[in-house]
Formats: sequence, structure tokens, C-alpha cells
Amino acid sequence: MTVNPKMPRAKATRAKKRGITLHDKYGWLFISLSVITLGVFMLYPIINSLYMSTIASRGMIQQYVGLGNYRRLFGDTVFLQALKNTLLFFGVQVPVMLILALIISSLLNDKSIKFRGIFRTGIFLPAVTSLVTYALLFRMMFSLDGLINTALLATGIIREPIPWLMEPFWARVTVMIALTWRWTGYNMIFYLSGMQNIPDELYEAARIDGANKLLQFTRITVPLIKPIILFTAITSTIGTLQLFDEPMSFSSGGVTAATIGPGNSLLTLSVYIYNLCFKYMPNFGYAATVAYVIVILVAVFTIIQFKLAGDRR
Amino acid sequence: MKIKNILIKVLQYTFLISVFVAAVFPFYWMVVGTTNTAVDIIKGKITFGGQFFHNFKTLFAKYNVAGIFWNSCKISFFTVIGQLIISSMAGYGFEVFSSKTREKFYGGVLLTMMVPFAALMIPLFKMIVRLHLLDTHLGLILTTLVSVFLIFFFRQSFKSFPKEIIQAARVDGAGEFRIFYAIVVPAMKATYAAAAIYSFMTSWNLYMWPLIVLQTNEKMTMQLLISSMSSAYFPEYGMVMSAIMISTLPMIIIFFRLQTYFVQGITGSLNQ
Amino acid sequence: MKRLLSMLLVVCVLLSTGATIITAANESKITVWAWDPNFNIPVMDEAKARYNKIHPNVEIEIVEMAKADVEQKLNTVLASGMREGLPDIVLIEDYNAQKYLQAYPGAFADLTNEINHQNFAAYKTELMTLQGRIYGVPFDSGVSALFYRTDILAEAGYQASDLNNITWDQFIQIGKTVKEKTGTAMLGFDPADGGLIRIMIQSAGEWYFDENGVPHIVNNEAIKEAMVTFKKIVDADIIKRTSGWNEWVASFNRGESAAVITGCWIIGSIKAEESQAGKWAAAPTPRLNSPSSVNYTNLGGSSWYVTENSPGKDLAVDFLKKTFAADEDFYQKILVAQGAVGTYLPSLDGSAYTEPDPFFGGQKVFSDLAAWIEKIPPVNYGLFTYEADSAVMVVMPDYLAERIDIDGALRRAEAQLKNQIFF
Repeated sequence: MTVNPKMPRAKATRAKKRGITLHDKYGWLFISLSVITLGVFMLYPIINSLYMSTIASRGMIQQYVGLGNYRRLFGDTVFLQALKNTLLFFGVQVPVMLILALIISSLLNDKSIKFRGIFRTGIFLPAVTSLVTYALLFRMMFSLDGLINTALLATGIIREPIPWLMEPFWARVTVMIALTWRWTGYNMIFYLSGMQNIPDELYEAARIDGANKLLQFTRITVPLIKPIILFTAITSTIGTLQLFDEPMSFSSGGVTAATIGPGNSLLTLSVYIYNLCFKYMPNFGYAATVAYVIVILVAVFTIIQFKLAGDRR
Repeated sequence: MKIKNILIKVLQYTFLISVFVAAVFPFYWMVVGTTNTAVDIIKGKITFGGQFFHNFKTLFAKYNVAGIFWNSCKISFFTVIGQLIISSMAGYGFEVFSSKTREKFYGGVLLTMMVPFAALMIPLFKMIVRLHLLDTHLGLILTTLVSVFLIFFFRQSFKSFPKEIIQAARVDGAGEFRIFYAIVVPAMKATYAAAAIYSFMTSWNLYMWPLIVLQTNEKMTMQLLISSMSSAYFPEYGMVMSAIMISTLPMIIIFFRLQTYFVQGITGSLNQ
Repeated sequence: MKRLLSMLLVVCVLLSTGATIITAANESKITVWAWDPNFNIPVMDEAKARYNKIHPNVEIEIVEMAKADVEQKLNTVLASGMREGLPDIVLIEDYNAQKYLQAYPGAFADLTNEINHQNFAAYKTELMTLQGRIYGVPFDSGVSALFYRTDILAEAGYQASDLNNITWDQFIQIGKTVKEKTGTAMLGFDPADGGLIRIMIQSAGEWYFDENGVPHIVNNEAIKEAMVTFKKIVDADIIKRTSGWNEWVASFNRGESAAVITGCWIIGSIKAEESQAGKWAAAPTPRLNSPSSVNYTNLGGSSWYVTENSPGKDLAVDFLKKTFAADEDFYQKILVAQGAVGTYLPSLDGSAYTEPDPFFGGQKVFSDLAAWIEKIPPVNYGLFTYEADSAVMVVMPDYLAERIDIDGALRRAEAQLKNQIFF
């Protein structure tokens, strides 16, 4: 039982004598609402879906297969491709985006930069732009004779138009660009909010000591907003491992498309789950199994990140 | 030395401006889209046209936009308030009153965040029907009331709150809840602002779950409207853009109002 | 005081959001789920208006949503086993018909004795039949055609008779000449879209599966020839590469391609470009070299189904019976207004169908399409069309880039398909 060491001795012993310390009582009180609501609305669905993952089904026709679904995963070429795609997006896009967001936030936290409010609003705008709009626009811009290719050709950077959405490799690049575009500003907000809690005096003192902006950034800013960085790393991990919207919107034909992206290059685990439920012969049990693969992946990466950050978990 | 400083400044501004332009262009394109015809939009026109009023008029004539907009507002409003209160209290509780048992609960809570929604949809749907909450906004709000993301965010933010202040207040005889809402909350305005933005955004843009829960046309939200409009063989993009613009407005307004909190330094907030 | 008032206000609003009106099953109301505000919805509106003329007290609510959403909601409700939340009538794409019928046994109403299915095109009735019972009311046809620009073809030296009842090889040849002489591509083409494959194999009366539903790709001559032809078209360099629906439509709207080979529902998009009026014509779809292939085939199309456990079931059946299954004038109206080509045989020689269409240079386009509908080879789409489509198109980039040959591609496709049909 953790007793706050700074508490005056008398109060602590008095508290220990009661059945439950004040510390505990308030602990439970504060978290009660959330835990109860979660229990009501999450517990049954999660247990049910775990049960479903042991069932193979065709719509309502079901058959218990125990771990059969899990075994099926290993030989399922579509699943393996979805896994590969998902991990690719995660491994490449998340670090790029977070670093970019950090750089932008530190720039916008710098009082010597003018028009910060405008930059802030503008860079956040993508997070608010509707998926329909930007998917439509991006697909037009990245088409064979779209804006991007025209600009690149005109400036001589490339000699032939890049088949952005027509080849597996480039399709993935396009989606990564789209994701970065969309979520950098969003992560920037969290970093900025964290940076507000750093007193200006710290930067002053460092400046007087002769530290330049870069040193100030790495020695003061980053360590002090470490909890927030961890937060964005984990939420981006979860978001990317559960990636659904962009692959769906960027594949030609959307839901009725034969493949998600050329040669299924944009198929992520979440989209595969969706297909298993609503596009193909509905196999909710197998879909639940794939969902738990995502859970395992997320849990693994989250724990790794927590450990790296030195949090006691 | 001066030249080096100027060079750095130029680089910084160039970087910021390019990022800004890239970020804002699609939004500009959307606004332009509300003034053009569908055919022009598909052809890639990026200049303003004269269809603005026509698009809006057709939109309002065809759909009950005011009612649908009000639905979205109502749902998001209650969801945000509920989420902020419940999640911040939970984050505070987990952080300031941590214990071994509660850490285990925290782990469990975080775990629920990792389960993709698609796996939970059907059993959740069954529950909603049995609770007679099908096709109600209340059902929608209740099921989205707890945001584990926010609990996580609040807890991380509370980590950097100086515990000594809480101690001092306790010594002064203040009750825990009073400490929370009178001292801690006002000091974390930037955090609450960020949380409010996240909360509103996720609630406003929610799509799959409202699709399942809501049945009738009166209960529809803006997202459902936009989606159904854009899935025609030949969508009337001018109209779709208009609907999107209306849908995006609240978000922008809220962000505008709340972003002043990001400029506040720590001065003046912890002086009590 | 202010706090109390605002709390009261909050409670009131909350209560109003929670008001669920639990009524007894409302027997004079029908709920319809459908998609596409420019096509299916107005058609339903028209049917609703006509029905309300004879039964003014029946309330028909048409809930509009995206196509994917209809499928998502339908599957969720049916899978949950709950009776609440079901529509009375739902629009289902033909490729999915068997899937729904077999995955959710008993979920859809048996209409064998209610509707005279002899009045509908055979290929439509066949796909909604399960164990001798027929379950839906056929709606629109995806009868396909070779739509082309008469002016561009003329410039290359071709007339209507040159495009009548041709094979794909002849089509490719024509395409090469058109490209040479006019510089315009022959087709807007999305290398990731499997529509053309489906057009080709149905024209030969084949599908991805044999009569027993077993994946039949490796020894399937029709699929082999379809994929080879697909590649020939790409290699002949007669296409304008597009990605996604909008680009594809833009390619013929902008005059960057001279022809479109797809279902007749494209007519609305063709006519959207008014400057091209009078310059289009329609010819029968090209056929494969295989002797079982004909110049008539289908892409897409959907039908209406009634759910068995919904409150308004009987009313819904009556509604469909009196409109979609009886009203010939209705079909004329929706042809003109939405370009919807129905499959109700008695309506196909109606006035609207026999009108010469000025956009198509005076050709009686709909009359031609109607005649072709009856010649479409019926095919059982089976349960796994989307899985099969995906399996074939997944290997397509590798095949087109010649990283594998045709037999390798067929083998890989069949392997993936078999893998997907786990249970």
C-alpha cells in the first residue's frame, strides 16, 4: 500500500488504521465513473469477440474450430500481405511524422517567430479537413497527369510521370504522404500543449549559459515533454496499426474494388477485417481473430515503447 | 554571425510557409469546390466559379441540413463534456492516487483501446438493441462516453503537474475534489484545450458506429449525410463540398477559440 | 440559481435525445434501404408516388446511405440476430445475392408465389434462386455495350458496321488504328479494376466457379483468354490509364478516350458531357475468340429483397408487386429520368425504349440494349465473387509486368481463392 511519504506522520498512521486509506478511497472515486462505463460497454463485447475468434462462420452458419482460425492465419496469403503492409506503414510513416511534428512545434513555440497563430491554425487544418475532400483531391493531384506530376516534370526532377496510385510501391508512398499530411498538425497540438508547461526561465537560463536553439531543444524541450511524446508515439502506433480510412479511400473503386490498391498493396489488417465482415462471405469469427492479431501487435509495440521511455509498467 | 542568423531565419520561415501551403491547399480547394459544378471539379478546376448559391440552395432543398447539423452538434456537445469530465478525473485518479491494484486496472483500460472497433461492433449492437437504445442519440453518446485515449492523455499530462502544490493544499485542509477542480484543472488549461479539440473532433467525425446505431433520417449526422451524398454513381460534388464546408466550420471555430490556450505560458496559472 | 437552470436545461435536452418511441410494429409503414441519390433513390421515389396514389395511407420511408453502408448495416443487423433495426425492403447488388441468401438462411422472404418471375429476364431470376425458391424482385440491368464516339471512329475510317458483333482481337486492331490516325486512346482503363474480366467471362457463360461452387480458374479457358486479352489491351498501348471512378469518367468526358465498354448504367455519365451530344453510338460488346462467347454480357445490376422478419413485410411485397412487377409505364418514366434500364420484360418495348436517342445520333439505344438483355448468358455468381475478383486482380500487376506467365498467374489466383474459402 503506497502511502504518500510527504504526508504528515500523524495523518498517515491515522489513515492506516482505517480499513481503507484516504489515498485509496479517492483513487477509486476518481476512476470509478470511467471504469464502470467501460465495464458496461466494453466487457461484454470484448469477451464476445474473443469467443467469436474460435468460430468459423458463413453469416449465421457457424462452426466451432477452437484455435483453427489462428492456425489459418499462417497460411493465409491475404492476411500475410495485410500484415506486411500494416507493419510497413507503421515502421516508416510514424517516426517520420512524429519527428516532423516535433520540429514544427518547437518552431511554433519560439516566440521570435511571427504569425505563429496563423501557422498553427493552417498546419492543424488537415486534421479537420474531411476524409472525403482530401481523398478526392489527393487522388486527383497524384494521378498520372495530375498536379504533382506536372510540377515535378516542369522542374525537371523526374523525366516520366510517376504512376503514383497505379503501382504497389508508389501507392504506398502516396498513402504515407497523405497520412503525414493529415496527422502531423494534430500531433503538433499535443506537443505545443506540453511545451506550454515549460517555464520560459529555463530557456533564458540556458541561453545565458550559451546554449543555442538546437541544444535547448534537445536538452530542455524534449526531455520535459517526454510523457507527451510517449503519448503521441503510442496513439500513432495504435492509429497506424488500425489504419482503415486512407487505404479504403485511396483504392480505386473503394469498397467494390477488386483489390485495395494495385495488387492489394494498400490492404491493411483493419481493411481485411472489414472485408471479411462486409465484402466477402461474412466470417465474423475469423475477422475477430485478425482483430486480436492487431491487439497483440499493439500491445507488444506499446510495451516496448513504455519500457524505452523508462516508465514503470 | 548576423548573416548566419538571417540564413537560419530564412530557412525557418521557408520551411513553415511550405508546410503551411501544403496543409492549407486542400482546404482552399474544398472552398473553391463549393463554387463550382461537379463536372468542373472532376476536371480539376482550381479557380472560383459562380455556383456557390446554387450548390447551397440545392443542398438545403434536398436535405434537412439544419436538422442534421443540429444532431451532430448535440451529440458532440454532450460527448465532449462527458469525455472531458470522466477522462480527466480518471487520469488524475490513476496518476495522483496510484496503487498496485489500480495500475493493473490501468493496464486493462489501456488494453481496451487496442481492440479494433470492428471486432466489437456486433455484440455492442446487440446490447444497444436490448437496452432499447437503438436509433437514439442517447445510446450513441453513452457508448462513446469513455475515451481511453483521453484517460491516457490526461494521465501523461498530470505527470508534469507539481505534486507539491497538491500537498500544500492538503495541508491547508482542502478536500480532494476541491483540489482537483479549483487548483489542478485551472492550471491545466492547455491540456483541457487540446483534449477538447481531440474529443470534439473524434466525436464529430465518428462514422461507423453512428451508421450502425442510427436508423431513421431524422437522427442522421453530418458525416452520414456527406457519405451517402458522395457515394452516387455521379456525385454532385459541388453540393458535397458545400455540405463538407458546413460540417468543417464548427471544428475550425472551436480550434480558433481554444488555441489561445496554447500561447499561455506557465505565468499566472500556478500563482494561487 | 443560474447553475440550477443550466443543469435543468441540460437534463431536458438529454431527455429529448433519449426519447425512444417504442411503438408496436407499425403495419402501415415500409422502410427501404438503398444507395445512390441520383439513380436508385429517385426510382424508389417514383415507385412510392405511384403506390401512394392507390394506397395513400401507406408511409414509405426511403433511407439513403452509401452502398458500402447498406451492406455494413445489413450484415451487422442480420448477424446479431436481432429483429429490430431491419428494413422492410433492401437493395442488394446481384453479385452478392447468393451470399446473403445462403449466409442468412430464412432472413429473406420467399417471393416465388407472390411475383411472376417469368416476366423478368432469365439471367436475373436465376441469380436469386435458391433450392428452387425465388427471393427477390429484379431491378436494373447492367447489360453492357461498346459505347463509342462516332466522330473519332469515322476520322480513323470506321463506320458502325465495322464495330458490330466484333471480337476482342478485332477491337484491339481498331484501337490501334484509331490511336495511329487520331492520336486518341481507345479506352479509359484502370489496370486494377476487374470489371472487364467479369464482362468477358460472363459473355462465355462462365464464372470463377464451376456448377458445384468449386474454384475453377486454372483450367478455365474463358478466364485464361480474358486475362490474356486484358494484357493484350494494355500492351497494345491503346488505353488512357486511369485510377478510380472519377478519372475514368473524366477520360471520356474530356474526349481523351474514344470508347467505353461497360454496363449501360454509364449512360448517365456519358450524357453528362453535353458538348458530345449526337456523337455517340452503342454496339454489342466484343466477344472472346472462344466459341461459347457471345456479344452479350452484363456488369453489375441489383435487385430488391424483402426481409422475412420485418414488421411491414406483407405491405412491402404488395408494394413491389404493384410497382416493379407490374407497372410498365413506371419503367418508361425511370428510363427517361434516370436512365435506368429495367429487366421487366413487358416494359422493354415501351414507348421510352423505342424512342430514338439524339445523344446517340438517333440510335434507338434502349431498344437495342433491351434486345441484348434477353441474350445475356445466365451465370450463377456463387458465394465468393469478391474473393475471386480479388484473387485474380492481385496477380494482375505481376502478370502485366511479365514477372509471371499466364499459367503461373492462374495457379496463384486459384490458390489464393481456395485459401479464402476456408469454411
